[in-house]
Amino acid sequence: MAAGGNNRSRLLLVILLVTSLFLITLDLRGVSITKNSRSATQTLLAPVQRGVSDLFSPVGNFFSDIKNFGNTKDQLKNLKKENAKLRKKVIFNKDIAGELKKLKNVLDLAGRGSYKVVSARVIGKGSSSTFSQTITIDAGSNDGVKKDMTVMGELGLVGVVKSATSTSAIVLLMSDPTFRIGVRIARSQSIGVLMGEGDNTYTLQLLDPSGSIEVDDVLLSLGSDNNKPFVPGLPVGYVKSVKNTSATLTQEANVKSYSNLSSLGIVSVIIKSTNGGPKDALIPRPTPTPTTTVYVTQQPTPEASPSESSKAKN
Amino acid sequence: MSWSRAGFSALILFFFFVIQESAISKIDFPISGFSLYLCALLGLMALEDRFGAIALGFIGGFILDLSPSTDSPFGKWALILTLIGYLFSRNRESIGDFTERPIAFILFVSAGATATLIIFLIFGLILGENNGSALSNLQTVFGNGLWTLLFSSILLPGLVKLRSFTLTSRERL
Repeated sequence: MAAGGNNRSRLLLVILLVTSLFLITLDLRGVSITKNSRSATQTLLAPVQRGVSDLFSPVGNFFSDIKNFGNTKDQLKNLKKENAKLRKKVIFNKDIAGELKKLKNVLDLAGRGSYKVVSARVIGKGSSSTFSQTITIDAGSNDGVKKDMTVMGELGLVGVVKSATSTSAIVLLMSDPTFRIGVRIARSQSIGVLMGEGDNTYTLQLLDPSGSIEVDDVLLSLGSDNNKPFVPGLPVGYVKSVKNTSATLTQEANVKSYSNLSSLGIVSVIIKSTNGGPKDALIPRPTPTPTTTVYVTQQPTPEASPSESSKAKN
Repeated sequence: MSWSRAGFSALILFFFFVIQESAISKIDFPISGFSLYLCALLGLMALEDRFGAIALGFIGGFILDLSPSTDSPFGKWALILTLIGYLFSRNRESIGDFTERPIAFILFVSAGATATLIIFLIFGLILGENNGSALSNLQTVFGNGLWTLLFSSILLPGLVKLRSFTLTSRERL
């Protein structure tokens, strides 16, 4: 029996080996049946492969992910470092962009006033314990900055140079209680003295008892001899409210400055001004407020038919 | 080996072939890939008698020849696995019943998978195929043997149970 079984197996082996060799020969001779059978299998498998691919994709990279775990950790660390650097850069860029905007506005205002200016960055602020309102700028006598020069911001007057070294200067802000500046009201050409009060509010005292002050009156600097310490025509502030005091001979008003002294980044020191100043060229123009127009079209209401109204009555 | 069992075994093998082609081949195994199909085929062959192992080797090889990803000539796998089937059955007889000796079964299948790939490479050399560098071939052979050793312990018990459904009552005895 065993010998018979062995013979049967041997015969099968020979037949199958010959068949295999025959198939190989056919394939090597380029018979299309063998080629087509593979493409048919591909056609059959393709939908299954597509379906399994979506399902299997997270598992597919499991081993390689484990293998690369250390690398991924390092990569993550490097990316975190890079991210922190980029964040710093973004903040720096934002800061630069803000400064550029301010500088543009300052130069724009100086240009309109035909002032020759030296722009500087605010590098320090006076301690509040000294009770004086000052800032330190990074431009000094080497840049042409001298004592008693007018300092302007993007919207108007900021202060006056108190002292200057070769590379920096200290500016007395207009909010300082000791600060005094001669101003004129653009509307009525009345002149007066503006005084700092230590915060963002100022007091205007008119010199002419018959002069008039109104709310929102624009105040411009009057100017000094040889433009020192103040150049003429620079916007200073606007009248916020008028004080009604019958006890004083002159009229007084509360004024708000154009410059926001708490957020100064870039300022310009006016080195030279044209003769006579810019007159009223620097008066801030009111920005037009957009108005919303709403059109309402009345929809025709359908009148109830007599039958419907009778039904309603019932 | 009855015709019905041969057909059923072919179906099982085709099922494993589809899994291999669509899922297992997509896994990026370390060292080298794992052939689930080869593991299943060798497991089934090891449980057959000489006639059945040779027949199953040819059927399994023929199915593997259908693989669109293979570059070898059609019939090469059939030839190799027929030979492996014969060699398997010859050696299997000296070991005895694998269902009672699972470790020997696993080792046998793993060794068979390694031997199959080595014979495949040798035949490739004879036919003048370019199979890449010796080192990468060695890595493939070793890796596949290793993964077969690991996964066959999970796969083979299930395969034995699956095969038992295909046996007639006479074959069970």
